[in-house]
This record gives sequence, structure tokens and C-alpha cells, in this order.
Amino acid sequence: MTKVEAIIQVSKLDAVKDALQEIGVEGMTVFEARGHGRQKGHTEVYRGREYTVDLIPKVKLEVVLADEMVEKAVDAIVTAARTGKIGDGKIFYSRIDEAIRIRNGERGDGAL
Amino acid sequence: MTTVAIASNELRELYARETAAIQQEFSVTGDGRVAVEHRTAVVDSLLLKLWNEILSTDPAGPRGFALVATGGFGRSRLYPHSDIDLLFLNTDGDAEEEFKDAIRRLCQELWDLRLKLSPATRTLSECEKLDPNNVEFSISLLDCRYLAGDRELFSRLHEKAVPRLIGHECKNLVQNLGDLTRSRHHKFGNTVFHLEPNVKDGPGGLRDYNVAYWLALISAIEKLQTWPDAKTLLPVSARKTLEATTDFQMSVRCFLHFRYGRQDNALSWEAQDEAAARKIGARDLEISSAADWMRLYFGHARAVHRVCTQLLEEIQAAWPSLSRQLQSWRSRVSTPDFSVVDGLVFLQNPASLQDPEMLLRLFHFMAEHGVKLSTTTEYKIEQALPSLAATPPRGGELWLYLQETLVQPHAADALRAMNALRLLPLLLPELKGIEALVVRDFYHRFTVDEHSFLAIEHLHRLKESKSEGDQRFGELLSEIEQPELLYLALLLHDSGKQAQDDNHIKTSLLLAESCAERLDLDPQDRETLEYLVASHLEMSVAMRRDIFDPGNVKVFAEKVGAPERLKMLCLMTYADIKAVNQEAMTPWKADSLWQLYIASANYLSRSADERVHADDHASNLAHLHSLAPVAGKKINSFLDGLPQRYLRIHGASDVIMHAEMAAQLGKDPIQLGLKQVRQWYELTLITTDRPALFASVSGALAAWGMNIVKANAFSNSAGVVVDTFYFTDRFRTLELNLPEWERLKKNIADVIAGKADVARMLQDRARSDKSQGPKVKIKTRIDFDDESSAHSTLLQVLTQDRPGLLYKMCSQISKLGCNIEIALIETEGQLAIDVLYLTSQGAKLSPDQRGALAKAIREELGVK
Repeated sequence: MTKVEAIIQVSKLDAVKDALQEIGVEGMTVFEARGHGRQKGHTEVYRGREYTVDLIPKVKLEVVLADEMVEKAVDAIVTAARTGKIGDGKIFYSRIDEAIRIRNGERGDGAL
Repeated sequence: MTTVAIASNELRELYARETAAIQQEFSVTGDGRVAVEHRTAVVDSLLLKLWNEILSTDPAGPRGFALVATGGFGRSRLYPHSDIDLLFLNTDGDAEEEFKDAIRRLCQELWDLRLKLSPATRTLSECEKLDPNNVEFSISLLDCRYLAGDRELFSRLHEKAVPRLIGHECKNLVQNLGDLTRSRHHKFGNTVFHLEPNVKDGPGGLRDYNVAYWLALISAIEKLQTWPDAKTLLPVSARKTLEATTDFQMSVRCFLHFRYGRQDNALSWEAQDEAAARKIGARDLEISSAADWMRLYFGHARAVHRVCTQLLEEIQAAWPSLSRQLQSWRSRVSTPDFSVVDGLVFLQNPASLQDPEMLLRLFHFMAEHGVKLSTTTEYKIEQALPSLAATPPRGGELWLYLQETLVQPHAADALRAMNALRLLPLLLPELKGIEALVVRDFYHRFTVDEHSFLAIEHLHRLKESKSEGDQRFGELLSEIEQPELLYLALLLHDSGKQAQDDNHIKTSLLLAESCAERLDLDPQDRETLEYLVASHLEMSVAMRRDIFDPGNVKVFAEKVGAPERLKMLCLMTYADIKAVNQEAMTPWKADSLWQLYIASANYLSRSADERVHADDHASNLAHLHSLAPVAGKKINSFLDGLPQRYLRIHGASDVIMHAEMAAQLGKDPIQLGLKQVRQWYELTLITTDRPALFASVSGALAAWGMNIVKANAFSNSAGVVVDTFYFTDRFRTLELNLPEWERLKKNIADVIAGKADVARMLQDRARSDKSQGPKVKIKTRIDFDDESSAHSTLLQVLTQDRPGLLYKMCSQISKLGCNIEIALIETEGQLAIDVLYLTSQGAKLSPDQRGALAKAIREELGVK
């Protein structure tokens, strides 16, 4: 099992969700996040006051997948989240030892 | 002490058999009261058997030790999976030591029977003292009941120790009970109206009933020094209501315990469906859906919550001095119509409620002072409602009172009280369908009506918020010209959810239209209300796009159109999200909302010069034509070349009036209109463009002592100028002298025509003006922007507001040969925000001109 974490633009969340659902990924966890990579902040002046946003709002999406699904899911995320500009985000993945469904104690891929 | 082995299997079987019988009986009768009493009896008998086996074959022995039921078990209200509160009572420490093993063994046997036990061991003297770290134990003694052992010892507890404890610690007990209750209510957002309520701990749940009972009991014991008659303890008015209510709630809690097979008191959606299908607690009633059943639930919960909170307030003797001072302060707000005692409103003349106006004034009074209705006042209102229902107030009179109520700091509480008494749906039947309505989604935590009240409450709270994140929205709220429309829109925004279809906005809009008709709102206010209701999700949707993308900002800002609407929509979005649940408005969302707001506000200031073309087919033009079919062509030629911004800030009736004034220019080249609009006066000038026009009118108004708070200046392709000045009358000249209206207009016309010298008029004013200096110092900032407009240079001046400011600035602009194409003038408190679109000989300003202008303005304003 693999955990895929994707940090994407807020505006791309719906598209990514749809793309994942299309390949059969039903469940996911979404977090409100802030950050920046090479994309720098944004400054807006309003009534003489400067409002600087150093950390841009993003969403972080987490899915734990059976190994054979990982590449398909990553492709789906990349395709749906890409605009080609700086700030599109990142994807990370890491190994997961076990998954347990709390409702019935089911373990392994079946619990995903 | 005996060492005989206990027949655990036998007891276990007995307990299992009896539990099954209780469940079976409940499934047939649905009677919760019978079920809890039955379980209490079963556990009583088990305990007695164990007592006989472990401690004494004589149920009244041994001496110096007694077994006492406390808490819910003491009240004989043992729900199917409730804990069993037991007190092992000893005369002293020696007895405690003597019976230690027996206590351990008895507890072990009960745990083996899988009973959840909450045991406590205390000496008699310990029971008399209040333990500040365990107030709950002292409160549980209020329900103590003899089970076995030394009866005389129990009698000393019941007859002496507990009354003595109350005698000494009455104030502390009430104070602690109040604190515990308030903190419990706070955990549930201080509202009964949860989509999935907790029937035990939630506001209006069984715990509130217990609190009401304990408060009344403590108060009575303190007075009588002995136990009162429990049946007559609660006020007569509350007793009857609460009897039916507790029967209902007991049945619901038993149903939940049986359903989940554990102590779980959450009324989930699935449980609501099943409870409605089985008519739990409502055997003889017509229940057609889970929503119907939940309305019944909320009705009962509301009654319990009301009694509990009223008693908490009424039993005032134990309140801390600060609160008492506050209450005394509140009593000083009494008027000839209403008296306030301990934060509760009483009517000076109860018969006065026959007058609907008095009823409306009463709720306005509540909203203003944050006081609650006394029980007798509520009773009087209930009595007055039938006659009011025959001819409910409507139209301007109702709106007058309603708007005054909505803008008061405690409006949400007043609305809740009106709703609880069924007055609100009587006045605004559009809200009837959302009363205690549960609409299931994964985000909202409250019923639709409560969500709307909470949204209003959150906006009002902004005014006193200390959080920096909230303060920026609070400042925005203070700038809103008609906050009452914003609050009314919040009250109605989700009313369409009663239709229970996918698009509640459509129904909300229809209901808002009906409400606007009922309140006889003027056309512009109606338009604003309907816009807000119809668009209340627009900004949330826009936040899901890239809010830093200028293209997205442009699309959103153009959709909103006018700065005032943008402010209202932003605040509506803030309140709507915040009222979804306690965690919904995260700092992340609040920042995103603010960023979108400021980007859109800036866009609207910088794009004000996009022009209207006569052949546009925009919906607003079509709307104008439908309103003025005959004048259609005239309107087209009048609008041609005016900035789009003009159409966004002026309603249809204004535009038609301006076009008609423009058509009169042949007869009189200076058309002036003056009217009072809400808190200020509005002067409209239609004339042909000429040098220093805007500066001259600003100067004339300043010379009359008027304070310009807002102004707009536009011109069309034929060179017709439409300037609007909104000003306050510092010296009440117009208010006190009607003939001065005409004199002011004539004087302005003379200034424009060059017949009067505005500079001299201003000098005269300066000599007589003794106004004090500003309280807040604002640093002047002058910025130019050549990017935002294709034709003009934008000048933005942020500075301290002062008399004649606009004249001083604009006359410098004219002196340097610059033309004001568009002016957008606003004042927020002491801050003047002036955005001017300037040209010089039809082109943008050169860098030299910009430098010279900035220098001239700084010198004129006397700033560095």
C-alpha cells in the first residue's frame, strides 16, 4: 500500500477529485494548506494598507492506494492539476504498512 | 462479613432476562418512563441480593455503613445503558476501613455482571463539605436514595448533612452548577437546534431538565432548611410542560440506548428515521416524516432549555457581584413601557400588548439591551398572538420596526425569542417552513432557522471582536450603508431549503420577493435584497477558483458590479460560512475571502471607466428599457459613453430620472436634484461639462457647512455630466430651515454659472467654523496608476477627512489643466478615499504632470 499526498491549487480540487473518481478512487482526505515553492507570495494594497500573502492557499489531498493503483492515480492527479505554470503543486508518496477499517476491523487492501 | 461464594451465573441470567423483558416491553409500548423505572427496580433487587450475600443478611445492617443510590440511579431513572452511581456511606474512617474488602467485592460482582458502576466511598462528614474539584458529587447527593444498610445513618445524610451542605454552600453550588451548565451549552454552540442533537447533554436535553430541578431544589432547601415536596418544586407554568417533555425525552433516550446497545445519546440521522417510523414518544400523533418528528423533538427541547436558562437567571442570590452589577445596570434600562428586573423584561401594562406596535417595540427593546423575556411576559405574548394573527402588521410599519431590531447588537436573541413564540413566522410567513428544519448534509450542524440566526449573531459579534482576522470584516461592516438589508438577506437566504430540492436559491429568491412585497420595500432596497439572496453562494464559489488570477477576479468583480454590493456579499459569505458549524470559518478560509474581497474591490476602483455603448444588449439596459418603454431612445443616447460603473451604482429609477433631467437641459442648462436619503442628503447635478465643475460644487457644499461623504462624477459621450454628491448636514441647516433647500440649489447653480465666488464663500465659512481637530491622525498617501485604465491616469488619495477637502484637491487638479473624467469619493470615518480618473488634453498624465500634481495637492493639504 502507498500513501499519495498531493499539494495542489485550490481551483483544481474538483477536477482532481473527478479524475480520481473516474479511475475508481473513491475515498480521500482533503486538508486546507498554505505554502509556496518557487512560486512567491502575492501583495495587494487596499486603502493604503499592504496585504502580503507569503504562503499561498493550497489544498493537500491524501489517498492510500493499493500499489497497482498508484501510477494511475498519480497520472490522474498530474493531468487534472496541471496548468503548466509555477504553483501547480507537488506529489509525494510513501509506503504504508497496514490499513484497518474501524467499522469492522477489516485489514489490508480490502480496508482501503 | 461473609465469604459465601456468590451465584454469579444466577444473577447474570436474572439480569439478562429482566433486561430482555424491559427491551421487549419498550418495543411494544415505547414508554421510556416505565422502562427506566423497571431497570432501576431490577438493579435495586440485584444489589440487595449481593448485599445479603456479602455484607449482611439483615438488609438494615450492619451499623455505621449504608448503601446509597445517587445521581440518575437515585432518581430511579436508570436508562438501559446508564452508569450506576453508588455511594458507600460510612460513619467515619474506622468504618470505611472495616468495610473496605466488602466494598471491593461488591463492586467486583457488579462489574462481573457487566454493569457500569460509578462508586464513591465517603464518610458522613465528607458529604457535608463541598469539594471544589468534584462538585458533581455534591450535586449527585441531591438525588440520594436509601438502598441498604444503616437506615439511621442514611437518615442523617438525607435529613441533616445534605440540607446543611446546601445551607452552607448554596451560592457556590448554584454558581458551579451554572458554570457547568454554561460550559456544557457552550460546547454545543449554545443552541438546541443541532441537526444531530445529543438528547442527554445537548442544550434542551435531559441534563437541562435535571439542572432545572436541582436549581429549584437547592433554592427551596435553602429557604425551608429541609426537603420540599418534589412534586410542587418547579414553577406551575413549567411543571405541566416539562412533564410531557420528559416523558418524550425518556422514551427517546431509551430508544437510543437499545438501538446502539450502549450509552450513546446522539440522535443521528439514521436514528431519526427509525424514531419517526416507530413514532417514538409520539404514539398518538400524526408523524409523516423524520422532519416532522424532529420538529416535535425540538419543541420539547426548546421548552426544557427555556425553563433551565430562566431558572439559572432567576435564582440570582448566588450570582457573583460582577454579574449582579451588570444585572443592576440592566434594570436601569427600564422604560415607561418595560421594566427590567434581573435581566428579565416585564410589561409595565400587560394589556398594552393588544397593540401590535407595542409587541414589536418589545422585541426591539430585547435586541437593543440583550435582556430576556420573563415567563409572565412570554405568557402575555402567547395570549396576544391570536388577535394579532387575524391582522398581522405588514408593510412599511412592520419594516420600520423589523429593521430597527435587526441592526441592534442582540438581534439574533430577539429573533430566536420571536421564533420560539411563533411570532416570527406570523410576521414573516416566508420563514414558516424552515422552523426547526433539519436538512441533512455533512457540513451544517444546525437547523435552518438557527443557522440564519447564528449568521446574524456572528455579524453583530464582529463589532466587538478582538481578533485581528475578524476586525477587518468588522471595519467593513461599519461601512455598510444599509446593514438592515444585509441582516434581512441573512434571515431569508436559506428559506428556500423548505422546498427540499437541489436548488434552494431559486425558492429563497421567490420567498425574498414575497417578503419584500410584504414589507413594502422601496425598489432599490428590494433589488439589493434579492441580489444578496440570489448571490449568497457566489463568493464561496469564486473562492474555489484561483483568487490570485486577475482573470478570475475580473469575472467575479464584474458579476458583483458595485463596491457596496461587494462589501455586503463578502460579509454575507463570512457570516454564512461561520454559521455552518463552529469550525467552518478557518483562518485559511477567512484569508481567502479577504484576499478575494480586496482584489475585487481594487478591480472595481481601477476599471470604472469601461464605457456603456448604446447598442449594448446587457441585461441591465434591457431592464431599463422595460421600465421606460417610451423613453427608450432617450435613455440610449443618455447612457452612451457613460462608464459601466454608473449603471452599477445607480438603480433603474435613478437612471430614468437622470435621463429625464438631461432631456430638460435645453430649457435649463443646470439641472439640480436634492433629496434626503437615509442618514444623508443626495445632490444630483446634470449639466454640460465645463472646467472645474466638480471642484466648484464641492466647494459650494463645503461653504454651506456640508460634509461630503461620498461622490461620483461621470460624463457621457455628448459631454453631459452626471455628478452625485452625498453629504451630511453638519449644522442641520436643511433639517431646520425648509426654504434653505431651494436657496442651496440656487447658490450651487450660481457657483456653476460663475455668478457666485466659491473661494470667498469658503473664506467666510472658515472664519465661522470652529470645529475641533481630528481625533485620529491619518497619514496622507498619494498614488498614481497608469496601468488600470486605457485612457486615464488614476489618482488615489488617502487622507484625513476635513472640511473643503474635495474642493482643495479638485481646484489644484483644475489649475494644472487636468480634467476629472470620473470621480469615486468615499469617506470611512476619518479616512477620505478619493479615486479620480484624470486626463490632460485627452491623454494620460505625463510623469512631470503627476509629480507636479502630487506636490500641489500636498502643499494645498498642508502635508509632507
